[in-house]
Amino acid sequence: MTSDLLVIGGGIVGQIAALELAGTGARVTLVDAAHNAGSTTNAGSLHVQMQSRFIRLYPEHAPNLERALPYYKQAAECWDTLEAGLGPMHLVRKGGLMLAESSGQMAFLEEKSRREEAKGLDVALLDRAELDRIAPWIGPWIVGAELCRDEGSLNPLLVNRLLAKACADLGVICISDRIDGLTVTADRVSARGLQGRYRASEAVVAAAWGSGALVRALGVDIPTAPEPLHMNITEACEQKIDHLVQHAERSLTLKQFGTGQIVIGGGWSAHDHGVDTVPGVRAGSLLGNVALAARLAPAIGTLRIIRTWAGMNTTADGTSIVGRLPGAERVIMAVPGDAGYTLAPLVAQMAASIVLGRDPPADPAPCSPARFAA
Amino acid sequence: MTEITFTFNGAGVAASGGQSLAAALIAAGRREFRVTAGGKRRGVFCGIGVCQDCLVTVDGTPNRRACMTGAVDGMAVETQSAFPALRSDAEVPDTPRARVLTPDVLVIGGGAGGLSATIAARRAGAEVVTLDERTVPGGQYYKQSADGGLLDAQQAEGATLVEDARSSGAEIINSVEIWGAFDGPLILAESENAALIVRPRTVIVATGAYDRPIIVPGWTLPGVMTTGAAQTLWRSYRTLPGRRIVVCGSGPLNLQVALELAVGGAEIALVAEAAPSAFRHPLRGARCSIHGPTLAWKGLAMLCGLRWRRVPVRNGLRLAAVEQYEGGLSATFRRTDGGTCTVRADAVCMNAGFEPQNEILRLLGARMTYDPAVGHLRCERSQTLETSVSGIFAVGDCVGLGGAPAACAEGRIAGLSAAALSGHGDGRGLASDRRALRRHRRFQNALWQLHDVSPTPLDSLPEDTVLCRCEEVTVGETLAGYAVNPGHLGTLKRATRIGMGPCQGRYCGPAAARLIAEKTGEALTDRSFFAPRVPVKPVTINAVFSAEEALRGDE
Ligand SMILES: Cc1cc2nc3c(=O)[nH]c(=O)nc-3n(C[C@H](O)[C@H](O)[C@H](O)COP(=O)(O)OP(=O)(O)OC[C@H]3O[C@@H](n4cnc5c(N)ncnc54)[C@H](O)[C@@H]3O)c2cc1C
Ligand code: FES
Repeated sequence: MTSDLLVIGGGIVGQIAALELAGTGARVTLVDAAHNAGSTTNAGSLHVQMQSRFIRLYPEHAPNLERALPYYKQAAECWDTLEAGLGPMHLVRKGGLMLAESSGQMAFLEEKSRREEAKGLDVALLDRAELDRIAPWIGPWIVGAELCRDEGSLNPLLVNRLLAKACADLGVICISDRIDGLTVTADRVSARGLQGRYRASEAVVAAAWGSGALVRALGVDIPTAPEPLHMNITEACEQKIDHLVQHAERSLTLKQFGTGQIVIGGGWSAHDHGVDTVPGVRAGSLLGNVALAARLAPAIGTLRIIRTWAGMNTTADGTSIVGRLPGAERVIMAVPGDAGYTLAPLVAQMAASIVLGRDPPADPAPCSPARFAA
Repeated sequence: MTEITFTFNGAGVAASGGQSLAAALIAAGRREFRVTAGGKRRGVFCGIGVCQDCLVTVDGTPNRRACMTGAVDGMAVETQSAFPALRSDAEVPDTPRARVLTPDVLVIGGGAGGLSATIAARRAGAEVVTLDERTVPGGQYYKQSADGGLLDAQQAEGATLVEDARSSGAEIINSVEIWGAFDGPLILAESENAALIVRPRTVIVATGAYDRPIIVPGWTLPGVMTTGAAQTLWRSYRTLPGRRIVVCGSGPLNLQVALELAVGGAEIALVAEAAPSAFRHPLRGARCSIHGPTLAWKGLAMLCGLRWRRVPVRNGLRLAAVEQYEGGLSATFRRTDGGTCTVRADAVCMNAGFEPQNEILRLLGARMTYDPAVGHLRCERSQTLETSVSGIFAVGDCVGLGGAPAACAEGRIAGLSAAALSGHGDGRGLASDRRALRRHRRFQNALWQLHDVSPTPLDSLPEDTVLCRCEEVTVGETLAGYAVNPGHLGTLKRATRIGMGPCQGRYCGPAAARLIAEKTGEALTDRSFFAPRVPVKPVTINAVFSAEEALRGDE
């Protein structure tokens, strides 16, 4: 099958990239393994401030993360435009709170907010009294918080539905297949799938955890690693929690969807059964994650958890990977850094503008895959 | 029995102690318990804690199932809104209560199979803990009266079984919600605001089945309920689901419950059986009586009892729709010749076979195969009724429909075998139970040939028929979702929200799985259904908190 442009991976990044490309009238084919997409399992948090989880788990990524902060702010703004164009996504941008339980944690937030402010983020430190005014449901141990006004949340299920429809409307050909090899010649890219061969003049690789393996044979070793993560959701209650809530030291995200349901996550691990199988829920993650939420927000204690799930996140080195592959320039990488759903519209638009030879919405140089070339 | 009073939306309701809130409210003529996000009224549907449509707020705590909550003097009960208020004065439970149990044999379910397994394992010398979700022991078949009275021989038989299990020395805990099942095995449950953490050596799953509904326009209206729900109301709480009742679907339970309700004083306006009359299939009828003369005789006696009471029993009638009519309901049926007839009633009871409650088994990884004859999964088991997962046994209807006598025989076999596996006894002496089991299975096979539990194909239903009760997703939306997102049930779930509500897809899931199988032409397998997930049933955040405190540092 031959088309003008090929997109491999049909998660949020692949879909938005396909939309951008098809918008120019190009014939676009999107091939997706329809399997373990982070985009169908993620929590819908729009992260802008540095997540304490990354700083703790991957301290070596922290400098990369800090450098990337302006991208997060810009990406969060992209979502406003996307919602205006595609339709309601339950997008709320009332800000994110990172809660502190001790003066030590407050000091950490103080230092963090100073660095974030320097990068242009709209942040403030709140004491308990100020917190009580905007978040009256918080538990008694909380002493204060950092507020990042750029943050928010949306409902990924709505987004995914709108995007699938928009792609279909623009004539993007969506195919369910798994690509297991890429070859690049002087005038085209050829992708070998389990069900067929797909040829195009250029290919965008937006295959998240699958990306590294796809391009390894082309001589660049990109360390995309699957990271199975755990999520919980409650039944609905009155709309009361306006913010994306996190913790200064421990893994937690908590927010209320437009459905009234409270979504609890924050990067607790799940059983890894390999990328071909859906990850499994671990008892320890369910217990630890939900118990932590109960401590921070006792008001939700009588609500019931109705569902948990585990999904496949992707990690690399903390920074997005966007740009032409060194030595195989017809292949354009589009793998977002941490909190990839947030970054997706910006990453996809950057990748699409590279393909189309347009001015990118943000400087892609720091994201270049050249950093992984031997 | 003590008389108590509680309030419902401020008005006093008189009840007898031991009655469930659902029964007390229905007896008081109240049948609308909750309001959905879409503004629709809902009431008791399943009667056994599955559907989550009987939710009420009790003393400020939202989302309590009225069918599983005992009425207590002085309770303040309110209609459940779809968006209950958060209590900003709430505190983290400061002394979480938790019990850690490590029995040789954990039996999950206190029905015919579970109680029989309990007795057998205990007699073999094993330490046994039995957990049951209901307030009243005995399960679906042997369910007991809350007031201890005995209605008939079936309840008397059940009373003996319950008594034997209690006096066996096993610890039997009722009103327990099992919500977590993990490898290990590790079973997590909530019992009266305390967490139960069970690390057994072996597990016998005996969770039974729930009624398969007839999905038609109006099946979500208050007053429409499963035949099992009506039976629980009557047998456990001496409450009639209505004065004038229609019973429909297919299978022997409908006849039995219609007769019980008639004897109890209800007017049965119609019993509609989808299958043609057994007299039109004399051979099938004869096969039944050969394989199970006593049970076949019981069936005939039920029919005679209904005739004698002038209850109209009609074959070849399928429910097509239920509508609200002057404070009551009107049920429309389609005849095999295409004609229709309409009957008015204030309760419509439905049962079109059963769906096994196999969630715990699936979570623990027990292998299942699809049984097209009854339209649901069956759990694979060895001679000793051990599943494909070592140490996990399964008995009774949760494995696939089998009936109470078979469940008893299976319970005894698994009880003895699980005890032996955990070092008690030699697991011998099962020959007569094995023989009995073979007989019961032959009878069951013959019995279901007389009925028609084939589900209505979804694409033959009006588009605005609700398919997913919880998320209020219609058949039309599901079909449209499938057209855009072909593939498997998980994809359809994300595209339409079917199965995302608190009943966790127990009704829409099997129906949608069958729809996809039809459309793709692929055979149904375990993977055609929603992936099993914890919590098995919704669990309060506070209960998870208590379990975590008790388990901390343990994993
Ligand atoms: C549980 C969880 C919660 C999360 N919460 C958040 C959050 O709140 N906020 C946030 O910003 N981010 C969150 N994330 C991260 C976010 O979901 C991902 O970073 C983002 O969705 C990545 O989008 P993507 O399009 O790059 O990749 P994906 O959505 O993962 O899609 C990649 C697609 O490529 C396909 N693919 C892979 N290899 C091949 C191949 N060889 N051939 C064809 N197709 C292939 C896959 O099957 C998949 O469909 C979360 C992730 C998880 C797992
Ligand atoms: S009637 Fe109570 S849960 Fe179904």
